[in-house]
Amino acid sequence: MQTYFIRRLLLIIPTFLGITLLVFTITRLVPGGPIERIIMQVQQMNAAERGSRINFTKTNQSQPLSDDQLNQLKKYYGFDKPIFVSYFIWLGKILTGDFGNSTRYYDPVLTMIVERMPISLYFGFFSLIIIYSICIPLGIIKAIKHKTIIDNSTSVIVFIGYAIPGWVIGILLLLLFAAKFEIFPLGGFTSDNFFDLNFFHKILDILWHTALPLFSYVFGSFAVLTFLMKNTLMDNLASDFVRTAMSKGLTFKSAIFKHALRNSLIPIATGFGNNISIILTGSFLIETVFNINGMGLLGYESIVDRDYPVVMGILVISSLLFLTGNILSDICVAIVDPRVQFK
Amino acid sequence: MGKDYILEIKGLVTSFNTESGRINAVEDITFKLKKGKSLGLVGESGCGKSVTALSILRLIPKPAGNINSGEVLFKNNDLLKINPDEMHKIRGSKIAMIFQEPMTALNPVHKIGKQITEMLDLHKPEMTKNEKNKKALDLLNKVGIPDPERRLNEYPHQLSGGIRQRVMIAMALSCDPEVLIADEPTTALDVTIQAQILDLIKVLQKENNMSIIFITHDLGVIAQMCEDVVVMYAGKIAEIAPVTELFKNPMHPYTKGLLESIPKLDNIPKTKLNTIKGVVPALNELPKGCRFQNRCPYVMDICKNDPPVFIVKNNHKASCFLLQGKFRNE
Ligand SMILES: Nc1ncnc2c1ncn2[C@@H]1O[C@H](COP(=O)(O)OP(=O)(O)OP(=O)(O)O)[C@@H](O)[C@H]1O
Ligand SMILES: [Mg+2]
Repeated sequence: MQTYFIRRLLLIIPTFLGITLLVFTITRLVPGGPIERIIMQVQQMNAAERGSRINFTKTNQSQPLSDDQLNQLKKYYGFDKPIFVSYFIWLGKILTGDFGNSTRYYDPVLTMIVERMPISLYFGFFSLIIIYSICIPLGIIKAIKHKTIIDNSTSVIVFIGYAIPGWVIGILLLLLFAAKFEIFPLGGFTSDNFFDLNFFHKILDILWHTALPLFSYVFGSFAVLTFLMKNTLMDNLASDFVRTAMSKGLTFKSAIFKHALRNSLIPIATGFGNNISIILTGSFLIETVFNINGMGLLGYESIVDRDYPVVMGILVISSLLFLTGNILSDICVAIVDPRVQFK
Repeated sequence: MGKDYILEIKGLVTSFNTESGRINAVEDITFKLKKGKSLGLVGESGCGKSVTALSILRLIPKPAGNINSGEVLFKNNDLLKINPDEMHKIRGSKIAMIFQEPMTALNPVHKIGKQITEMLDLHKPEMTKNEKNKKALDLLNKVGIPDPERRLNEYPHQLSGGIRQRVMIAMALSCDPEVLIADEPTTALDVTIQAQILDLIKVLQKENNMSIIFITHDLGVIAQMCEDVVVMYAGKIAEIAPVTELFKNPMHPYTKGLLESIPKLDNIPKTKLNTIKGVVPALNELPKGCRFQNRCPYVMDICKNDPPVFIVKNNHKASCFLLQGKFRNE
């Protein structure tokens, strides 16, 4: 068991190197990097100085920077060296905790990520809790009440949630509960007077601000897990060992909770670690709708702006999270299923 | 029900909803189990042996299956009429069951010890935890499991099929049941293990004066284990008789066919075994009248009608028109 996990932990290293090297190479090959952006900025500045009479397209084509300046820029961004060399320089810095500076905002990447982290952790953590604490009981109820009104009506609701994108639900909720009825705020994470509130009211304030976005986050995520739970439980209810349990004199209810349920949690546990990474990825669309400054938005903007240090920084954190999540899945499965042995 | 009997099944009909409509898996099953004796239930695969056994304990899977009519009298108490709580008390403690598939009948995520003591938790709540653990150990010893202390802390996947079936037997016997239903307890096991398990069941039966319903499709096993035999065909009873009577004097053509298909020592080696020609009809396309007619070598016109039950002798009954005129109707 122990050696197994040590081996799994060691396996993170090559996987991590593979992922980061791949993305690092892509950032080099994709057009529109930081140098192109600076060139464009300079062009726009020149164009503004000279006034709009000058033909814009013509200026665009000419190169405003001298070769000297270009080389300086390349050197600054490390583009003068071969990919592998600059990858290892980047890696060396990452290992010392230096994530570099944003090429767009010139802020340290780590600070930018750490600033966004709490809000994403908040949403990710609560989403996970809500999703699991609704899907598992709901799946159990649906399995026991298979083909009854409860089962069918919840199926309809769950599938509606699955079919509508989260940001659409977000907009609808905002229109209805924030604009029309003004029950919930339009956006943001806290009220203006947040720091004057006592602890209890602070919690209420955050919950009040995050109810709608949380709902939009989780509403689409019920289908998969609920039906996984329902179907595996139904399989187990028809299994031989549940019949054995009944033949011993257990009631149907105890047979479910003492025998069928634990077996049904095995596939659920398999997926648990992978879901951990939603803590960080978030959804930039929902974040946009609700005006939340989370990791989803940061990641999206950094890609659009070709802000490669930020892209790589987020990649480092999310891939590490994903890889440890996988190991966590294995641990969860080993806890519920004694047949799983790590050698 | 006489005082020599402990269990009586009367006119049992159990049906299932299937894609091709509602089918009766067993129809009009009637037999009695003597106290302290074994009754064999034989028949080809799919003839309704397990359904009969599960109906006795009301373990037919709902809502697909349903017991439509009949009585299951356990000491003059109709088990089909008592309320669920009383039924829970009878299952395991008064009537216990061993299943066909030892590989899947135990819960894969619980230790053997826990699965045995669970039975004691349910029916012997007055026992302390230590007593229960000791009892579980004794039971494993009794059913001949080597190194029982270690086995108690193992999971089913760590045990062989034979050991698992012994665990099932230990579990079934833990509350000293009056009736044991053994549904093909050895079919999934190899021959030497099979013999050991059968011996074990016989020994334990003597010890506890247990009554056993022994389900099998192997007449050899019946000869070895049982006093009475019920021969089933396609959901109905073809013939009932004490075991020696059945082997000496079979009346139903199906029983004769079964007996002829047993390999004998004086057979010429490497010749073809006698088998019953044809296959069991599916339950949704049963012929009208006698269910055996499409395979019967003696089929007559009258077989298009339902055959009545004829009384050949005391305790020997068969349901076939060949007996008409020779024996009286029931
Ligand atoms: N859950 C079920 N749903 C539908 N039909 C069923 C169900 N269980 C049993 N049956 C039907 O009842 C009939 C009798 O089945 P049963 O399991 O009693 O046979 P068996 O005599 O025990 O056979 P085997 O020797 O293979 O165990 C079969 O034809 C089967 O199709
Ligand atoms: Mg069977």
